[in-house]
Amino acid sequence: MWGVTRQLLLVEDDSRVRRVLRMALEDEGFHVTEAADGSQCLSAMREHSPDVVLLDVMLPDRDGFSVCREIRKDSDVPVIMVTARTDSHDVVAGLEAGADDYVTKPLVSKELAARIRALLRRAEPSLEQHRKRLGFGDLSIGLDDGVVLRGDEELALTRTEFRLLAELAMADGGICSREHLLDRVWGYGYFGDSRIVDVHIRRLRVKVERDPANPRHVVTARGLGYRLVG
Amino acid sequence: MRRREARLRTPSGRRLGLRDRVSIAFGLLALALSALLSLIAWGVVSQYLVGERQSAALAQADLHRSLLATGIVQRKESVALLLNGLPTNGATGATAVVGGRWYATSPRVQPATLPNELIAEAIAGETATQRIRLEGGLYLAVGIPLAQSDDAFFEVFPMDETEETLRTLSWVLSGTAAATTVLGAAFGRVASGISLRPLNELNAAAAAVAGGQLDARLPTGDDPDLTPLALSFNRTVGELQHRVMADARFAVDVGHELRTPLTTMLNSMQVIKNREDRLPPELREPLELLESDLERFRALVVDLLEISRHDAGEQLVLAPAAIGRLVRLAADTAAGRPVTTIDESARHVTLSVDKRRLERAIVNLVNNAETHGGGCTGVTVRMEDHHVAIEVDDKGPGVPAERRALVFDRFARGSGTTSGGVGLGLAIARRHIAAHGGTVRAEECPGGGARFVISLPLARP
Repeated sequence: MWGVTRQLLLVEDDSRVRRVLRMALEDEGFHVTEAADGSQCLSAMREHSPDVVLLDVMLPDRDGFSVCREIRKDSDVPVIMVTARTDSHDVVAGLEAGADDYVTKPLVSKELAARIRALLRRAEPSLEQHRKRLGFGDLSIGLDDGVVLRGDEELALTRTEFRLLAELAMADGGICSREHLLDRVWGYGYFGDSRIVDVHIRRLRVKVERDPANPRHVVTARGLGYRLVG
Repeated sequence: MRRREARLRTPSGRRLGLRDRVSIAFGLLALALSALLSLIAWGVVSQYLVGERQSAALAQADLHRSLLATGIVQRKESVALLLNGLPTNGATGATAVVGGRWYATSPRVQPATLPNELIAEAIAGETATQRIRLEGGLYLAVGIPLAQSDDAFFEVFPMDETEETLRTLSWVLSGTAAATTVLGAAFGRVASGISLRPLNELNAAAAAVAGGQLDARLPTGDDPDLTPLALSFNRTVGELQHRVMADARFAVDVGHELRTPLTTMLNSMQVIKNREDRLPPELREPLELLESDLERFRALVVDLLEISRHDAGEQLVLAPAAIGRLVRLAADTAAGRPVTTIDESARHVTLSVDKRRLERAIVNLVNNAETHGGGCTGVTVRMEDHHVAIEVDDKGPGVPAERRALVFDRFARGSGTTSGGVGLGLAIARRHIAAHGGTVRAEECPGGGARFVISLPLARP
């Protein structure tokens, strides 16, 4: 199924959970590197350059949010946050720290593998999309090369932010509901947490819009979803 | 105290309310005071009026007596003629005894009509008055001695006018007393209403607390009579809230502590399952049992966290949502087939909801219909006045009327069923719906089976 074995960095302080998740995720076809705390995580990031990071919020040396922000400084690797609670604070804080998705314990390896694969997927243009590069005003989105330009300036988007923008772009100005975006970008059924979309839209606006407080490209359709306009 | 309680009851045997008792007390007090004042007023006025009448009558009688005496002495006229010649001036009649002989001017005033004591006193040389009844009317009889001993002059004056005045006065005073009584009772009612207002606030706050709104507090204000009550109520509720929250947090903590070992167990099970073909056949059955109970354990921990997180005060995440579509996606996904019908009336209804929780409630009801109700036969969304009704029908045995309120309790089990587990699903559904200001109830489905009805208000309270 996979051309290359994907490198997964597993950051978890409980050694039993770490051991069992490594075994279970290796069964799912990943190559797993373990880290027991934040500093091990950051050094493993430099040594192994993983394809995806599974990051527990509760770490002995520092909290997962700051580790995530540290990772985001020089990497767009997909990060899945393992939160203690699903209440607003942990989830939104994790997403705002730059996480691409979140899961809560008890984690089951099959579900976890599905989440990881969804994040590693590439943007898939629909059949009628012939153009490789879509233009929205001063924004230009390269579906093939993953390069987003605003004027002549190249924008640094994470993988997930790019796929979200590409999904909006492929709707060609039409409204994308949160559920649609959750399904297409994160691979959720219809029970995904729409806060994931909302926080990513906020992050996307900070990078794409000249004035993120008054977005001109990524526009909210109240109660319905979002759309991308030129 | 017991005796008072026994006395202050309504005819139907119910104990009278405080306000009724205060009104009655004020009414009785007003009645007593006004009756006393009326009696005093009546006494003073009647004494005055009667006294006035009496002295007027005496003066007139004395004048007539002197005319008579003068006539007898100077003109030696007949006593009968003299008597008849006296001016009447409102007197009913006069009579006199002169030299042992009685003379009278009017058939109505005869010696026989005069009281004996009056005659005796006058003859004995004393001026006397006495009130008498004559043909039903009240009269004043005056007896005055004449110059000769044993001779006396008597005159009778009507007291109708005085009596009429006094009667009117007594009516007025009685009416005033009655009006004062009613006013007193009304005042008592208003005053007790004002003083009971803090109690009503207390009642409302206590009801809110009982209804689960543990952050309800009384305004403490600066009233020295009420502040201690409000403070002690607030302190009690505060402690109650603290305990409830502590219990809820304990459940949350237990849930969290269970998550880590559960993660180890579930994934170890998965690793074993991945190598199932290498296991000796006799281990397959225990493994299957272990796996299914592990799954129940997982569901229980997830549900426990879901319900206790809410108790521990987690806030709703509200956003507008097209309600019909939300229900269709949740119910159809949970049932694994299309089951939802959206009535035309609910097609364009948008509500501000916590999407995750509402979905969870609907999924739990559909799962309940699937596992305990013989399968979900349909989910209907429709508008009823001011709220959205979501009905989840099944074709199971239904819920007996006496169990309909109980099925939403934590860990309630279906009657007579031993299968299927720990019932937190319906309890969670009820919490989540209640958090939206709505209700959920069990009914009988017209075609047999159970119907669970969620009712969500259009405007949140």
